[in-house]
Amino acid sequence: MSASLAPECNEVKERYDTCFLKWYSEKYLRGAEKDNKECAGLFNEYQKCLSVALKDRGIDKLLDEAREDNKENDVRLTAPRK
Amino acid sequence: MKVFSNTVTYEYSWDEVSTANWRKYGPWNNKSEHVIAVDTLSRRVDVATGILRTERLITCKQAAPDWIKSLLGGNMEESFVYEASYVDPQNKTVTMVSQNLTWSNLVRVQEEVVYKPLSEHQTQFLQSARITALCGGWQRIKNGIEDSLCTRFKENAVKGREGFERVLEMSRIVFAEEKERLQQQKLALM
Repeated sequence: MSASLAPECNEVKERYDTCFLKWYSEKYLRGAEKDNKECAGLFNEYQKCLSVALKDRGIDKLLDEAREDNKENDVRLTAPRK
Repeated sequence: MKVFSNTVTYEYSWDEVSTANWRKYGPWNNKSEHVIAVDTLSRRVDVATGILRTERLITCKQAAPDWIKSLLGGNMEESFVYEASYVDPQNKTVTMVSQNLTWSNLVRVQEEVVYKPLSEHQTQFLQSARITALCGGWQRIKNGIEDSLCTRFKENAVKGREGFERVLEMSRIVFAEEKERLQQQKLALM
């Protein structure tokens, strides 16, 4: 799996990515589960680490703007299809 | 504005491609040195549609052409891309949209990638990118920036295909080994 931009988050990121990939291929794609509960703890831990790094580098503000820009895509790509 | 588009057919099922896509920039890809980090920012499955939405931050390290560097100055070594992706398992599509976070006041790069099945064993990759230089003034410089980025997209598209082919191949091998291992375990327990 790929590295994190913050080296201090690499270890927890690796564990989360592995957990997610297993869930994605074994459960999500098979329609078994819609909630990725089993990886939620690891995800929170990873985000706690990452959010500090994003803030320190000032990336959090850039992300807020990008999210705003992406709203149209969100509407278009999450709409139910016929 | 310049538009770059590209289509590739992978000889793998959509399930395999959509899974391997999450490790596209991992160690199995030896053609993606320019991507140095991929971080997940948020992830959620929509209850009504079953669509999995993921936000990621992609960190790239790719030197800009010298003339752009001298024009813009500063450190251009690291750049960031915001990506939102949507997996629709019912319709078997993965759509990924991305935009540049770095130098966004000078140039806007919007990319959209779609993976969808062509048959049970084939998946199509459709990529399109819109590149718009925003700096006011000289049209020649704008064109230069757009052309230069368009060329970069072309180069990266070739590498992207080669690198992802390798990731797909490795994923299939590892998956088969894992299956074999589980089978052996089962036999040992019998």
